[in-house]
Amino acid sequence: MRVAILCSSPYSETGCAVTARLAQLGYVPVGAMTLPSWDRRTLLRKVGQWGLRDSLQYAVAKLSPGKSTIQNQIRNPYLESALRHGDGVFRSVREVARAYGFPVVTCSDQNSPRAVAQLGQWSPDLAIFTGGNILRDQALNVPRLGILNAHLALVPEIRGMSGPEWSLLCGVPLGITIHFMDSGIDTGPILLRREFAGADGCDSLADVRNKMIAEGIELIAEAVAGLDRGTIPAVPQADREKDRQFFVTHEQLQAVAARRLKENQSNPVGDRSNG
Amino acid sequence: MSSPESRSNRNFVTTKTARVLSEAAGLLRAPQRVIPLFSKLASDELRRTFEHRHLYSYVSATIPTANALRSVVDWILRAQRPDGGIAAYYGLLTGYSESYPEVTGYIIPTLYDFGRLTGDLVARHAAYLATDWLLSLQMPSGAFPGGLHASDGGPDNNARPSVFNTGQILQGLVRAHTEMQAKTRNAKILKSAVAAGDWLAAIQQADGSWTGPAAYQGTAHTYYSMVSWALAQLAAESGDPRHAAAADRNIDWVLLHVQPSGWIGGINLRGHPAYLHFIAYVIQGTLECGILRRRDDAIQAAAKPAWVLLRKFETHKRLLGTYEPDFRGGQQFACLTGNAQMSSIWLRLFELTGDPRYLNAALKMNEMLKQLLPVKGRRGVVGGVAGSYPIWGAYQPMRFISWGCKFLADALMLEQRLTREFETKFETKFITKLEASGCA
Repeated sequence: MRVAILCSSPYSETGCAVTARLAQLGYVPVGAMTLPSWDRRTLLRKVGQWGLRDSLQYAVAKLSPGKSTIQNQIRNPYLESALRHGDGVFRSVREVARAYGFPVVTCSDQNSPRAVAQLGQWSPDLAIFTGGNILRDQALNVPRLGILNAHLALVPEIRGMSGPEWSLLCGVPLGITIHFMDSGIDTGPILLRREFAGADGCDSLADVRNKMIAEGIELIAEAVAGLDRGTIPAVPQADREKDRQFFVTHEQLQAVAARRLKENQSNPVGDRSNG
Repeated sequence: MSSPESRSNRNFVTTKTARVLSEAAGLLRAPQRVIPLFSKLASDELRRTFEHRHLYSYVSATIPTANALRSVVDWILRAQRPDGGIAAYYGLLTGYSESYPEVTGYIIPTLYDFGRLTGDLVARHAAYLATDWLLSLQMPSGAFPGGLHASDGGPDNNARPSVFNTGQILQGLVRAHTEMQAKTRNAKILKSAVAAGDWLAAIQQADGSWTGPAAYQGTAHTYYSMVSWALAQLAAESGDPRHAAAADRNIDWVLLHVQPSGWIGGINLRGHPAYLHFIAYVIQGTLECGILRRRDDAIQAAAKPAWVLLRKFETHKRLLGTYEPDFRGGQQFACLTGNAQMSSIWLRLFELTGDPRYLNAALKMNEMLKQLLPVKGRRGVVGGVAGSYPIWGAYQPMRFISWGCKFLADALMLEQRLTREFETKFETKFITKLEASGCA
């Protein structure tokens, strides 16, 4: 199975962990394609997501790895097993590539003719999307089987952004869906759809999200292996046309979602099926 | 011989030129205005440079909603003229305008809402004064005049009755009627409101539209759905079926203009584009009238374009200042009033359908609008909502406008009420409701 990786940045921790995990399982990528690490938009997004202090700390930790512990170098502690490599950890897709011997290419847009041509040269059976642009048909059609995405909510109920938050706000069980990407937002055929049972031990929404990302990576590995063996069917979504796309939650709704998480944890047998 | 179209365009250019000259003269009369003018120009330019095209970026709220609300209502209160009317705008070049009957009318419900929410007696008193002033302007026919009020405060012999302004003022009269305790005054207000409603019903065309000399540019407009909303409000108070029937007839006519894309055509403004403000008027009037008249067809017709605009806002982090038919491209500035109206519309749809995506978008929109409120400056600037962002955009350039403040205050008050409900008792039966509402 020839697998390619699409990342939002060479330093994307999720991208790095997916790549490393697949390589550990014997699916060494034929290539990884990333967006540039430091453009203004990415920088603003990171500052917006993490805050200025966290972003600076992260940048400092990256620039001086010798002074940091492994735990300090990993933002998502649940990815440690995937990222651990000998005495250290993989901090970029390039480091994984050096360890396993595959090329990494940087492009400004994953839909650009240059990016599509590069992907075509690798002639992958499958690509794994871990972040970047909204992919258009010219990129989606290159891998023989398609491009896989791990979505942090149950599809078709919750499509789009902020999956865990919207699941909590809408009373839909937390879950992860592995699906092929198509021209819609999370509307492609589904390979795996699992409810997420690990929220009870989490102390925050960020913690839930981190744990779901780690579980999502395991599900991607399971899906890749299943596709390789031909044991997992891709099931088209029946209500593809229904507009169930969600968008990034405002911080006020994030706070409500966090409270719902706590309520669910303190009332685990309560009715969560009001969706 | 020139066509009516070219005459209209020529008039528009002449009006625009006259306005530019008058604004420039305003700066010559009061050169001290140059500092706030350049300060606003510089701050908008800086913001545009750093935030590129996105108004709502990742900035956290800097002003709590309650403070922002207080600040925009204070702007409105400061804009109230000694006659009781509320100025249309504060121009960075010309200062406050004369009182504007139309806006004064539909600001009354906002002032009463604020009074109820906060217990503020000053806002209630301002609404009282505004009502008094409006009652003094009513024409014998029951209509209210269009345009700004004459600056000398005397009777304006050139004033012409206006359908739209009468409808907007009617909103204020109906609300003043429901709020008023004193029986004599209450009867006077209701009589005035009924006279306005009767006039609107009497001059309505058989197809439900309003055309002729009392309609803007002499033609029918779908944004007169705001007039239907006012008539529906009046019908609920007066119990007169003629007012309800007039509202229904106009909404029937508006629904004829619904396109498969969700776009509601028939805005029909010659000489200027379809600003978001007018698009939102069409949607808001149709939605609110649909709610009052229990008309699912009207609610659905309003929900569709509201959803299209929500997707655009969420995807592009902003709405354009104007749109071409079927929501094709438009001008790149932001029409802040239209943004505030869309926020209110989304909040009402959230209230109606329980779909929290509407609430989410409205919260973001309000965040952006709060961030753009000036916190320092002259009395006509601080807490004001500019016509456009940047301030030199095409809609009401270089002005802070009272109806922008009104719509933002409405949106912030709705936000406060609905978020409180959502956080405490709201049980989202989301998927079921979504299916039922037809949005999915």
